[in-house]
Amino acid sequence: MSIIQIALNNLKRRKTRMAFLLVGLVVGVATVVALFSIVQAMRLELGDRLDEFGANVIITPRSEGMELNYGGTHVSEVSFNVQSLTEDDLPKIREIPDGDSINIISPKLVGAVIANGQNALLVGVDTKREFTMKPWFTLQEQTDLAYGQKPGDLSLLDIPKDSLLLGSGAARAFGVQAGETITVNSRKFKVFGVLNELGAEEDGLVYGNLLVVQGLLGRPGEFSLIEVAAYCNFCPVEEIVAQINDVLPNGQATALRQAALIREETIDRFSSFGIALSGVVLLIAALVVLTTMLSSVNERTREIGIFRAIGFRQLHVVQIILLEAMMVSVVGGLTGFIVGNAVARSAGPFLAQMNVSVPWNTEMILPSVMLAAGLSVTASIYPALKAARLDPVEALRFI
Amino acid sequence: MTEVLIKADSLKKIYKSFGDEVEALRGVSLEIYKGESVAVMGHSGSGKSTLLSIIGGLNPPSAGRIEIDGIDLYALSQEKRADFRREYLGFVFQQFQLIPYLTAMENVMLPLTTTSYSAKRKREMAEYVLTRVGLEGKMNRLPNQMSGGEQERVAIARAIVNEPPLILADEPTGSLDTKTGQEIMELFHELNSEGLTILMVTHNPENTASMGRTISMKDGRLCADQAEVVPLAACKAR
Repeated sequence: MSIIQIALNNLKRRKTRMAFLLVGLVVGVATVVALFSIVQAMRLELGDRLDEFGANVIITPRSEGMELNYGGTHVSEVSFNVQSLTEDDLPKIREIPDGDSINIISPKLVGAVIANGQNALLVGVDTKREFTMKPWFTLQEQTDLAYGQKPGDLSLLDIPKDSLLLGSGAARAFGVQAGETITVNSRKFKVFGVLNELGAEEDGLVYGNLLVVQGLLGRPGEFSLIEVAAYCNFCPVEEIVAQINDVLPNGQATALRQAALIREETIDRFSSFGIALSGVVLLIAALVVLTTMLSSVNERTREIGIFRAIGFRQLHVVQIILLEAMMVSVVGGLTGFIVGNAVARSAGPFLAQMNVSVPWNTEMILPSVMLAAGLSVTASIYPALKAARLDPVEALRFI
Repeated sequence: MTEVLIKADSLKKIYKSFGDEVEALRGVSLEIYKGESVAVMGHSGSGKSTLLSIIGGLNPPSAGRIEIDGIDLYALSQEKRADFRREYLGFVFQQFQLIPYLTAMENVMLPLTTTSYSAKRKREMAEYVLTRVGLEGKMNRLPNQMSGGEQERVAIARAIVNEPPLILADEPTGSLDTKTGQEIMELFHELNSEGLTILMVTHNPENTASMGRTISMKDGRLCADQAEVVPLAACKAR
């Protein structure tokens, strides 16, 4: 006979009460596990799908500049001492301390050209990198397509050096279609394809191969800007920006507030809501444990009196009550882990409003059991002390 | 029988209830020797159960002093008193007071729970005393699977399993029929003849027949302390 056996036998005897206690703990732990797993999955998903959200760091050549205002009216901006970004800068960006968090680096050169006799903006890009980073760019028309064939995925297509891509607005302005020819700065190019309308400035742009555009604009090896898609689960993008600025004295990196960051904010809000909800549910679970253990102690007054009379110390009585709480909490923690994971897996995508797949989060087993044990033991301290302080004479109605 | 086991000196106990004070013991002094069997008789409210609880180290007196085997009981801390009870006392309560979810064997092993004996030794000790009280075939039964007499035997086995020098029994036959009550009293007599000191509270005069000495109480005082039973009606509190 041992204290553990006494606790275990009592649990077996009071099945309904202990089931109630178990449900309280399972709900508490499952809520925490489910919310934690969903938030974790959302963060990982966000990292994995960064390219869907475009760049979040933009690097421009460093320059000194000032705005000219006269009488409150903006007249012009004056830039001087403009430095340039070059091929040599690209490896430096990869080598920053948080370089592993950088997903895509897409350099580009922008310049004004005359296309079919009209002014136009030509953007030289590494097409695969650029369009992987911006998956919302899609082809409306594509040259040399067989009948019934659909335009390809831009991020996978090789665009020939003698071809250009036109935004829908530019195609309309120049009156050209896919497969036709367009003259840019006296050089003829084939229109590889026309992009779907985005309803943004990009609709008016002409896109070409970066090397070709550098040659056409007479700026070989130079970039107007470098866009970087970076995502780090555990470090803020501002940290990456600071590191880039350290390695590129000729560049000015800026964090962009765009989709990824907004999504991150949404996750942060969901996470805060999850913490608040978990707190409330855990508090309720603790109250369930407290009331259940208190009523259990009240029911066992006489029994505790017997223990005390036959030589159990107060400490032994505390041990019995806390051991019972601990035993239930181990089962509650494990069950809560399973239920929480099941809930996260089935309800996760709906709750997160995101196509997330929540994996079985086995590293949560130990924290789940510890959470349940901590909660259960903490909430049982008062009932245990109350039991230990019971007057054995009154408990046995000796008087 | 010359060595004093229990020495009570001017024990008083006052209970406070809703502002009123009730004097349950009004200065009780007595000595009980090793190997004695003593019955404490008295009507309800005479203070006999209070006296038993004070001797049992469960109920500090309001005044006075009690020594068992030379140990000033209430000079000990509460936890030390618990250790004392485990080593020196065996309780037989009213209505058996067995733990309902433990078998006879487990109930008997309870006082050994907090000792350093091995599990095997605890089991052997429990088996021995259960056999001693005549329950060799019923060790694994739960209390609700046993008769009143059998439960009382389990309660007695639990009281003697840790081999205490003193057994305190509170109305041990109160819940039993006459025949079973007599059997239990015989068992107490046997235990006493083996050297155990027994102090038993009872208001059944028949139980005193097998006891060596009877103390009568009335209104919180001793009114007779002798080998023969004094009719309570004739008892004048001292």
